[in-house]
Amino acid sequence: MTSHSPSLPSKAERNPAAFSFRAALVSTDHKVIGILYGVTALTFLLTGFLIMMLMRWQLAYPGRALPGASALFGSNSARMPGGVMVPEFYYQLGAMHGTIMVFLAIVPLLVGAFGTYLVPLQLGAPNTAFPRLTRLGYWSYLAGGVVWLSSFALPGGAAQSGWTSYPPLSIIAGHGQTFWLIGMILIIVSSIAGAINMIVTIIQLRVIGLTYMRLPFFVWSQLVTAFLLLLAFPPLGAAGILQLMDRVVDTSFFLPSGLVVSGAALTANVGGQTIPRGGGSALLWQHLFWFLAHPEVYVLVLPAMGMVAEILANNARKPLWGYKSMVYGTIFLGVMSMLVWAHHMFLTGMGTVITAFFQATTMIVSIPSIIVLTALLASLWGGAIRFNTPMLFALAFLPMFGIGGLTGLPLGLAVTDIHLHDTYYVIDHFHYIVVCGTLSAIFGGIYYWFPKVTGRAMNERLGRIHFWSSLVLLNCIFMPMFIQGMAGVSRRLYDGGLSYAHAQPVLKLNVFITHAAFALALAQIPFIVNLLWSLRRGPRVEANPWQATTLEWAAASPPLAQGNFETPPVAHRGPCEYSVPGKDKDYTPQWEQ
Amino acid sequence: MAARWMTQVAIGLALLVCAMSCHSGETLQTKPDEPAAPFVPGSSAITGTIKYDGAVPEFLKVPIDTSAVPDCAAHRTTPLYREDLVLGEGQALANVIVHITSGLPKRAYPVPTEPVELTQAGCQYAPHVFCIRVGQPLKVLNPEPMMHNVNANGKANSPFNMSMVSSVKEKSVEFDRPEFVVPFKCDVHPWMNAYCAVMDHPFFAVTGKDGKFTIANLDAGTYDIEAWHEALGVQKAKLQVAKDETKTIDFTFTKPSK
Amino acid sequence: MIHMPGLPFLASKDGATIDFSLLLIHLLMLAMLLAWGAVFVIILARFRRSRHPKAEYAGIKTRLAGWAEAGVVVAEAAMLVGISIPFWATRVNAVPGADQQPVEVRVVAQQYVWNVHYPGPDGKFGRTNALLVDDKAGNPVGLDRNDPAAKDDVIAVNQLHLPVNRPVIVHLTSKDVIHSFALPELRVKRDAIPGMTVDVPFTPTVTTAQFRNELKAEATRSYSEKPGGLADQLAAIDKRDYEIACAQMCGLAHYRMRGTLVVQTQDEFQKWLKEQSLRSSVVEETW
Ligand code: HEM
Ligand SMILES: [Cu+2]
Ligand SMILES: [Cu+2]
Repeated sequence: MTSHSPSLPSKAERNPAAFSFRAALVSTDHKVIGILYGVTALTFLLTGFLIMMLMRWQLAYPGRALPGASALFGSNSARMPGGVMVPEFYYQLGAMHGTIMVFLAIVPLLVGAFGTYLVPLQLGAPNTAFPRLTRLGYWSYLAGGVVWLSSFALPGGAAQSGWTSYPPLSIIAGHGQTFWLIGMILIIVSSIAGAINMIVTIIQLRVIGLTYMRLPFFVWSQLVTAFLLLLAFPPLGAAGILQLMDRVVDTSFFLPSGLVVSGAALTANVGGQTIPRGGGSALLWQHLFWFLAHPEVYVLVLPAMGMVAEILANNARKPLWGYKSMVYGTIFLGVMSMLVWAHHMFLTGMGTVITAFFQATTMIVSIPSIIVLTALLASLWGGAIRFNTPMLFALAFLPMFGIGGLTGLPLGLAVTDIHLHDTYYVIDHFHYIVVCGTLSAIFGGIYYWFPKVTGRAMNERLGRIHFWSSLVLLNCIFMPMFIQGMAGVSRRLYDGGLSYAHAQPVLKLNVFITHAAFALALAQIPFIVNLLWSLRRGPRVEANPWQATTLEWAAASPPLAQGNFETPPVAHRGPCEYSVPGKDKDYTPQWEQ
Repeated sequence: MAARWMTQVAIGLALLVCAMSCHSGETLQTKPDEPAAPFVPGSSAITGTIKYDGAVPEFLKVPIDTSAVPDCAAHRTTPLYREDLVLGEGQALANVIVHITSGLPKRAYPVPTEPVELTQAGCQYAPHVFCIRVGQPLKVLNPEPMMHNVNANGKANSPFNMSMVSSVKEKSVEFDRPEFVVPFKCDVHPWMNAYCAVMDHPFFAVTGKDGKFTIANLDAGTYDIEAWHEALGVQKAKLQVAKDETKTIDFTFTKPSK
Repeated sequence: MIHMPGLPFLASKDGATIDFSLLLIHLLMLAMLLAWGAVFVIILARFRRSRHPKAEYAGIKTRLAGWAEAGVVVAEAAMLVGISIPFWATRVNAVPGADQQPVEVRVVAQQYVWNVHYPGPDGKFGRTNALLVDDKAGNPVGLDRNDPAAKDDVIAVNQLHLPVNRPVIVHLTSKDVIHSFALPELRVKRDAIPGMTVDVPFTPTVTTAQFRNELKAEATRSYSEKPGGLADQLAAIDKRDYEIACAQMCGLAHYRMRGTLVVQTQDEFQKWLKEQSLRSSVVEETW
């Protein structure tokens, strides 16, 4: 093994403007892999979005042929015969939309792209602690994604038991579910590798002077996130393997006795003998799944909060208000998020004591979120706010995340959850957080750090068009869903509620929502154009165009291919020293003497 | 390069497991590939009548309550009865499959290209019991604006469960292995069920309400023959037919004692 | 009393508590959103760069945030301890005792129907056995007709009939996958999980007939000039039932796993049960 000696930088690595795909394939540089994550995850985001548009058509116009679908799928296809989506396909799309968005788009963007790219830079480090682990993380992620996407081509199609994959449904489902589990195991490998790497990097590779309380808040958010991933994914890995065994070798970990499926008792063939299956527990999966998936939900917001904090402080030209309370709040949030999982299961027949416990933890977990949100708001007070595109997106995060968080309260109280559980209210609650909130933060982050990554600025005007149209349309999409949820319309309905009398009064909203969703797709065109155009034509920027304070801005734009910095910086102060009295500049970078 | 290595192994493993899982449940049959002689229809036949011997159960007089699934009732002009015992005049027993189980020469029996039709009109599978050849298309029809799902739970053939929403008027499927029998069920209308025997030869018949069956085009020979009814079980016989002979054999089914 | 807007018709005793809690919590949320939003807007207006070009290094010194947070904590705790936990203890997790003469019924979910099993006049559920399940023979719950207690049992599919103003206990389970038994108008929802039976108590308070009358009154009140519209609307209401919705995805026809609930007077209910028992009694054992 010679690979221990540092390999010489290739031509492409020395000159990052010529980003070479071949070099990227074998690279262990956190920046290259961060970009790979970013590009891949944006592609998956688009995929998940297109899947959602197919679903939205069906919800607005149940049973009506989608124009052009016959051409696309073939008029005799099993999925959309005559252009009309069949229920199996809707449920495949639903499960894969959720899975792709969570595991292939949002988390990889937050942790894989922004985390991998920025954290070493903000630490003043030349790379991650374990560069090859970074690479393993990416390729395993990509493999998982490919397995998932390819499952659409199976005869029975992709997984169709929701992103939650509750057994027994998931166990009696077709082969797509097996692919789902295998993809999931690959994603778990990727996440655990990434999390370990992130934790060690943050602990070990902080540059001289960068104490814990001088870490940018973004780094803190990534650290807590990494711990969540590290602790929460192994149980899901175990559960996934058990479910895989239930499916492939006919064990019954998640199958209770006495199951009769479609009129026939569920049996296994053991050594030529037919024996009934059973003895397991259907609820066990839910506990294991949510033990991961609830922390996972915080994985979907914490890094977003971190990015927003950076952007807000920079554009308000003010230090973060209550930095310490934010850090402790985030740590507390992380710890508590591991103790709330069963609030997804209030209606499974849980007793009073256990519901009381999980309601209480849920109420408690809302407190640090409120603290962080309040601190972010208070950070703006007294600022000199400049409203550029990243700032607009970061500002939008606050009320959007606020609405998402507030609507969690009636779901976290068992008494009100009885009516709202499994309705569109739930769909809406987490979409406000993840789409209106986190995705806004991600867009803000892209506009904010694009100059660092490419050495070019993005176009402001297109950015503003993108921002305002997206903000308005997102609310057009998601506000009406609260009304539907309050009316009691269940989620995961192939016909959007057409079969139910109680859904009739709010059915028309489906059309409105769908139109808004299609318009939202159009509203992304300025962004895509902006991204591609700025990559080649955007005005060149120097190292610190936003006049920011954290260490990534000490590096050139883009940072050196090998080692990031000309000379390793030294951290002399806290992460966001803006408008320090007595200084002539309104920002005092961490690296300045 | 260790990481790349591991990734490759991981992907390889994943694909292996995928490949394995896709094959679970299907028993691989290795068919010897000696070319079979072409089929020339013979001149012998077996015919007969099938009867039910026993008290007529009460349930034959009480129709199924289709109002459980309201959209169904609208499409029915006649009441719907249970079909696990369908009797004609003089206790003649319908829905019995009579087929030859052994004694046939090895021949390449041509598979008809015209499809077998299975309709779901009025939330009832018709025919309730039918046979199809391996590789012969089965056309499932959905004449009314209704939603059904066709859940065919084969063992030798891979099971499928497909929906037929109201705009889907027909769907075509094929079976690639002989199987006796594949149960069909609609889970939306729980009473809807049917049985399909997938045959690798053309010597079978299903009785109608007159209980009569005929298996024609046989060569002279000695055959094992079997009569199957979904609820009353199986009866077997061995018989010899001469050239140009039409042999008669009747079966009588009784309610199985528990 | 003000109602939480947007909720379906209410037809059960304890549903009022749920509706009230929904209203309370949404008022709290609204208050927080408005207060918080007002501050947000003020900040954006007041501290925009053109108006306030030089940022202050020192952060705002205010106890307000702390007080507001404390207020939220208190409000949440009050809802939790004052309503939610007691409600669960006394209404959701506790079943009415024999002294209240509850109606007991088993609901057995399956892909994609709701099977309803009444104990009949003897008040005893007959034995059931998964191996006896036979949908086509009208025995979807696997009732063992050899059990004397089963002789008078009544089985219905997708049709749940209940008497008004009597406590009900639904013994809820599933044969195959997880479903969720939801009665939106009664504010009842609980998962039907194979391998376990959960008792779901509630008390319907409005008969289906009354429900339709109220809908009609409402339709007439809010009716506006569309010719021919009202008659159609009223005719549609005559077919409107309380619904049993499946709230947990259970397979490809989950979206239409719909049953109906008919709430009747005690007499009507008894009459219906008697009719059904005639039909149920001809269910033969599996052949
Ligand atoms: C504008 C963008 C989006 C729209 C309009 C949208 C819309 C929808 C719709 C219509 C459903 C299905 C509702 C149902 O059938 O019950 C759904 C489900 C879901 N969405 Fe999104 N979505 C968007 C983006 C996202 C993103 C970014 C995520 C990332 C986490 C996400 C996560 C999910 C999940 C987890 C589900 C549940 C899937 C399941 O039922 O198992 N969505 N979304
Ligand atoms: Cu059907
Ligand atoms: Cu269901």
